Amino acid sequence: MEKTGAGVVVLSAKEAFEKLEKVGEGTYGKVYRAREKATGKIVALKKTRLHEDQDGVPPTTLREVSILRMLSRDPHVVSLMDVKQGQNKEGKTVLYLVFEYMDTDLKKFIRSFDQPGQNIPPETIKSLMYQLCKGIAFCHGHGILHRDLKPHNLLMDRKTMMLKIADLGLARAFTVPIKKYTHEILTLWYRAPEVLLGATHYSMAVDIWSVGCIFAELVTRRALFPGDSELQQLLHIFRLLGTPNEEVWPGVSKLKDWHEYPQWNSQSLSTAVPGLEELGLDLLSQMLEYEPSKRISAKKAMEHAYFDDLDKRNL
Amino acid sequence: MEFDLENPFENLHSDAVSYLFLIESDHTPSQNHSQTLKARDLDISVRRELISLISQLSCALDPVLSYLAINYLDRFLANQGILQPKPWVLRLIAVSCISLAVKMMRTEYPFTDVQALLNQSDGGIIFETQTIQRMEALILGALQWRMRSITPFSFVAFFIALMGLKDLPMGQVLKNRASEIIFKSQREIRLWGFKPSIIAASALLCASHELFPFQYPSFLKAISDSSYVNKESVEQCYKVIQDIAIEEEYSSALNGVSSSDTPINVLDHHFLSSESQKTNGITVANTIAVSSPLRDLKRRKITGCGCGGNNPTIHNSRIQFSHAKESEK
Repeated sequence: MEKTGAGVVVLSAKEAFEKLEKVGEGTYGKVYRAREKATGKIVALKKTRLHEDQDGVPPTTLREVSILRMLSRDPHVVSLMDVKQGQNKEGKTVLYLVFEYMDTDLKKFIRSFDQPGQNIPPETIKSLMYQLCKGIAFCHGHGILHRDLKPHNLLMDRKTMMLKIADLGLARAFTVPIKKYTHEILTLWYRAPEVLLGATHYSMAVDIWSVGCIFAELVTRRALFPGDSELQQLLHIFRLLGTPNEEVWPGVSKLKDWHEYPQWNSQSLSTAVPGLEELGLDLLSQMLEYEPSKRISAKKAMEHAYFDDLDKRNL
Repeated sequence: MEFDLENPFENLHSDAVSYLFLIESDHTPSQNHSQTLKARDLDISVRRELISLISQLSCALDPVLSYLAINYLDRFLANQGILQPKPWVLRLIAVSCISLAVKMMRTEYPFTDVQALLNQSDGGIIFETQTIQRMEALILGALQWRMRSITPFSFVAFFIALMGLKDLPMGQVLKNRASEIIFKSQREIRLWGFKPSIIAASALLCASHELFPFQYPSFLKAISDSSYVNKESVEQCYKVIQDIAIEEEYSSALNGVSSSDTPINVLDHHFLSSESQKTNGITVANTIAVSSPLRDLKRRKITGCGCGGNNPTIHNSRIQFSHAKESEK
């Protein structure tokens, strides 16, 4: 085909970047730490095959990538800096998403405190939680749900202690089969009860539930609700918060996957999350409200008294 | 993710509005490129031809679709230009811009049907799917995959709320007329350098000046006071849009005269000739006022511009009142 460009040479992804190492395998494909040859900048290169058909770039992919490009100016969302289209050895179309590189994620950070009695400092927890609420408030303020929040999706810069939300939308945009790790099913642990019970209409509250689970995990360094099946996940939740009924959660028994469950009374959150101050427990309890519409919003969470003594000037 | 030109994001929260103003430049041809384009007459004529092609090919589809496709075209031209405007290349670009717009909108049409429609139109060149895909990839790269375009439509609701007209019928009327103005002015190269928010503000002010001239000053103040808006840019853009509207009005008036001598067109004819002769202007305007109040608003605007100041308006009102009294006798 004749060139219509005005002499601009667009390098292919392989020519533009030097892959340094594979750093992950997400739900959407492989992730590499790479260096942009032109600038020397370190980036995260996420490679995914397009499931294109006769129609070329799928509309879903086009829409999702476009939303990521729009969100990239917010300081608490990992920036999608560029997108490059290429072909792999088999001639299939491949998309390279070029993200800013962050040297660790919250999952690794939590695990780095691995000595008995070694906890994450309370002020660090507070700062990370505030940034998380702020990033989620930004997404929700723009009508964007994440729906797969977990420590692995929250990237961090170890030096500055800045936290950024990653994998917005991508878990849904690309229908690559998820490779299962038999020892861990991360996505269940942070899943809201209404999702587990088959609610068809998601709301922003599903992300707040995940934020609450992450909050507890920052304090205790262990997952709050570590279920290994959907039923076990629900039972974990009910054991701590009490089995829900129509009184505490109107409409719960009409959800598609509702069944009869053992009847537990709710227990105090302080037994599950020892060491968290009163104000933190109050905020956590509002994040773990059963009824989605009563769950605190991310914006309201930022205003909670738990954050009053936090220096927010650089966050 | 649903995509809607009025809400590039799904919800219009106050936070979202400030973000729209922050990133709108990423989704619009820039001022610098506008200057570059104006320096190349060839590209201006190519743009005109491409817009004509897109309108032609997508006339069976939602007009919002062709608006989005033309937005993609403008951003593509700003980024790349076209060195060899061969007919088949132009057509391929037009088809590809429409194809991308269809993918971004949630349309009622199955995509394959749209593609068949594009290929059948005009009995012209039929492109292989792979060819369109390659052009799409080129356009996507040039636009850096920012396909959720921020257009003037993204800001209309915000400015209407600023004017205090949210949820009022008057706001809906203004919105409709402003949208009409935005659609029609997209073709105009003189608007290329203005940000979408400036175009939205200017279109609303033109609509309010036209439909609600007595409230115009307070609307102008509400928009000018906004910290998001550069007042001088709005003034410049307003003039361009008003020129476009006036040109369009005279054009339709002339068309009316040439098409037939119906009573309404005869009145228009009298108005034009009276205006040129500077005689009986008030009487003719008065007559038109009786027959067509809405049309009179437009005419009065022009008359007002000619005479200057508010006095002619007040004067016309008094004469009209007297005339009404006389008719009662």
